[in-house]
Formats: sequence, structure tokens, C-alpha cells
Amino acid sequence: MTFGDTALPPAQRDALRRAKRLEWIGLAYLATCVVVVFAVMGSSQAMKVAWVEDLLSLVPPIVFLVSARLAGRPPSPTHPYGHHRAIGSAHLASAVALFGMGAFLVVDSASGLLAGDHPPIGTYHLFGQTIWAGWPMIAAMVYTGVGPVILGHLKKPLSETLHDKVLFADAEMNSADWRTAGAAIVGILGIGIGWWWADAVAALLIAASIVRDGVQGIGNALRDLMDGEARTHDDQATHPLVNAVLTAARGPAWVGEAGVRVRDQGHLLHAEVFVVPVAPVEVADVEALAATIRDLDWKLHDVVVVPVTRVPGAVRTTPAAS
Amino acid sequence: MVTLTRRFTAAIAVGAVLLAGCTTIPRDPDGTLDRVRATGVLRAGASPGGDLVEVDGDAVSGAEVDLVEGFAASVPARVEWRAGGEEELVAALERGELDIIAGGLTDQSPWADRVALTRPYAAGHVLAVPMGENATLFALESWLDARRP
Repeated sequence: MTFGDTALPPAQRDALRRAKRLEWIGLAYLATCVVVVFAVMGSSQAMKVAWVEDLLSLVPPIVFLVSARLAGRPPSPTHPYGHHRAIGSAHLASAVALFGMGAFLVVDSASGLLAGDHPPIGTYHLFGQTIWAGWPMIAAMVYTGVGPVILGHLKKPLSETLHDKVLFADAEMNSADWRTAGAAIVGILGIGIGWWWADAVAALLIAASIVRDGVQGIGNALRDLMDGEARTHDDQATHPLVNAVLTAARGPAWVGEAGVRVRDQGHLLHAEVFVVPVAPVEVADVEALAATIRDLDWKLHDVVVVPVTRVPGAVRTTPAAS
Repeated sequence: MVTLTRRFTAAIAVGAVLLAGCTTIPRDPDGTLDRVRATGVLRAGASPGGDLVEVDGDAVSGAEVDLVEGFAASVPARVEWRAGGEEELVAALERGELDIIAGGLTDQSPWADRVALTRPYAAGHVLAVPMGENATLFALESWLDARRP
């Protein structure tokens, strides 16, 4: 198993295999959720929004599986940087989908609330009993709320091991799914006690959380696509490897000043290292430094060391605050 | 995060128990069923619909009229009939002037986004109650289910 021409260390190979398995399990589970929720959703706006969210949460696993496959293609003269950007592009596409659908649902739910729509929830006739249709809805929400939390919990550490932001976004969405289910349950119980507006308010909350996921995702995906400095898998801080590369670049005795710029190509980092020699250097010295930096981490697959008379502006010459 | 999850779950659990303890679910936002019980009057609209609802002056008859009379008796309440065209009755139902409509409606009715239709009681035929009056809908559907063979 590889990412482009980078062979994965055993830990990453294992994580990738487990992540793929989890995503397939997640897809199968979510498919059942989509069917179950559709079957019971009736006229509840909160259930409708929760259903759309279930549908949307099918996107990141598919994006992960497709982009993991694409990223495995080796680089070539026509794709000299490999196909790692597949991750960032897919990340952006799924974030835009979340944002667009979320915005639509906010408007849809708000207009129902403003119009004062009283959602009718009828009954089922089961085993000779007439039961209120709200109860099966709540049961369906419990079913769809429990599984993703477990899946998200299992996916999150793998996303760090693989430095995979799509997997991380997916895990985050899964982990937050209980809130969707909880809000929908409160909305339905609200209808049950005669608060017609509870359903629309719950729907608005869920829709707003979809929008927020979308906006965050768009911001993070764009930063990487715009070649921002590499950040951790959760986008919380500058990636620690940036400082490690800078420290390594200053290592050899022949290096005076040094500057680095490290960007995230998706799984893998691309580092350009500028060094000002203070003694005569051989090509072999430069290549040895590049090899040292590459050996810091499997993610550093593409490292270029450039001897220069002056470090260019706007590259990192001082360690990033951690 | 874990504490928050637990608190949230606990809140839902406590809320559900309280709800189940203090009141019956579902309830009507506008209190239709409670009012029918309190006043003993079910205000019904009748719109001519085949042989299910026949209107002759002030007299209404037909299978659906019998259904509404039967349901009212179970509440218990008597029925005050008002005859009219479907659109007029739907508007009256929306304004809260009627509690139920019998008009030979089916589950394909175009009024479905303005009134709450029951499940078909037979061959696609339905009755209509005000939108979102879920206790009324529950009581009516329960009564319709109970008289099934």
C-alpha cells in the first residue's frame, strides 16, 4: 500500500486498512439509517432535516474511499506532484455540499416556523394497537444516533495516524451525530406535548449545525488548496514537522541561515528548504541534508534543499509557536 | 464532551419521564379534543362526496356522516353539522371554526398540506381534522382502527 510513490510504514498501512473497513461498515450502517428514517419521518421537519443529514454523511466516507484510491497513483511527468490533491479537492467538494444543503434546510425550516406550520403526526396500526407515530420516530433517532458516535470515536485516531483531513472531518461529523438525534427527539416530544414550534426549532438547530460543518470544512480545505503552511490533521495548529524540518535544516555545520516552507498536499507534506552555505558545499552535502529531512517522517515525501545566497522573504525562519 | 453528552442524555431521560408522568402524548396545540370534551360539541363540516356524504338542505347522511356521529358519541359529544363546499370547509377548519370534515376525501386529496388527513379507514377514504391537532387525530384514528373487523 502506498500514497503515490511513498511506501507507508506498517502503522500507517494498518491504519489505512482499518479506516477503509470502518468506512465500509459506516456506509452500510448509514444506508440502513437513511431507509429507517425515511420510513418513519412523516410530516416532522426535524426528522426531514435529520434524514438529509444522514444522507449527507454518506458523502465523506465515499470521498475518503475514492480519494485514498486516487492518492495511491504514482506521480508522473504530467502529474509531477502525484495525486495527493485529490484529498483536498474532495474535502472542498463535500464541504460545499454540506454548506449548500444546510443553508437550504435553514431557510426551509425557518419558513415553516414563520408560517406557523403545525406538523401533523398521526398513528400506526400495529399488532392490533394504535400507536402514536412519534414513538417510532424517536426509536429511529436513537438507532441513528448511537452508531455514528462509536464509528467517529474509532475513526478519529486513525485520521491522525494517516494525516487524513477527510477522515477527520468525517469522524467529527459522526461524533456530533448524537446531537442531531437528540435535537430531533426533543422536537418530536415537543410536538407530543402540544408545542407545535418545537419541531421547527429542532430542525433549525440541526440545519445550523450542518451549515457550520460546511463553513469550517470549506475554510480548512481552501487553506490547504491555497498552499497554506501545513497544519495538524485537525487544523488546530501549525504542524510540528514544520519546526522539525527547520531544526534539521540548521543542523549541518556548513549551513548559516535557513528558511523553510512546508505545504500539505493531502496525507503528504511538500517541503522546500532554503539554506545559505557558510562554507563550500558539494552536491552530495545538499542531497544528504535532503535525505536527513525526508527521514524525519514518512509524510515528508517531497523535500527540496536549495542553496541560496539569501533566504527569500515570507518563508519560515523562526519556529512556529506550538 | 463526555460530561456534556451524559448531561444531555440525562436531561432527555428526565424530560421523557416527566412528560410521560404528567400528561398524555400526543396533545393538541390548540386544544381541540379537550374543548370537544368540555363543551360536548363536535363541529363537523359536510361536503357532498358521492354516496359517502349526501347533503339535502340541512340534513346530512351517508357512511362518513355515520362515522363522524359514531366518533362523536365515543368522546362523548354531539355533532353540529355545517354543510358547504370543500374549499369553504377547509378554510373554516384552518380558522378553527370546525373540528372535522367529512367530504368523501381520499388519501390523494390536494388539501393534504392544509389539513391533517387520517389514515384511510377503507379503500383510500379519509377524514380531515385541523393541522397539527395530534390528540384529535390520535383519538379519531384509534376509534377508526377499533371498529375495523
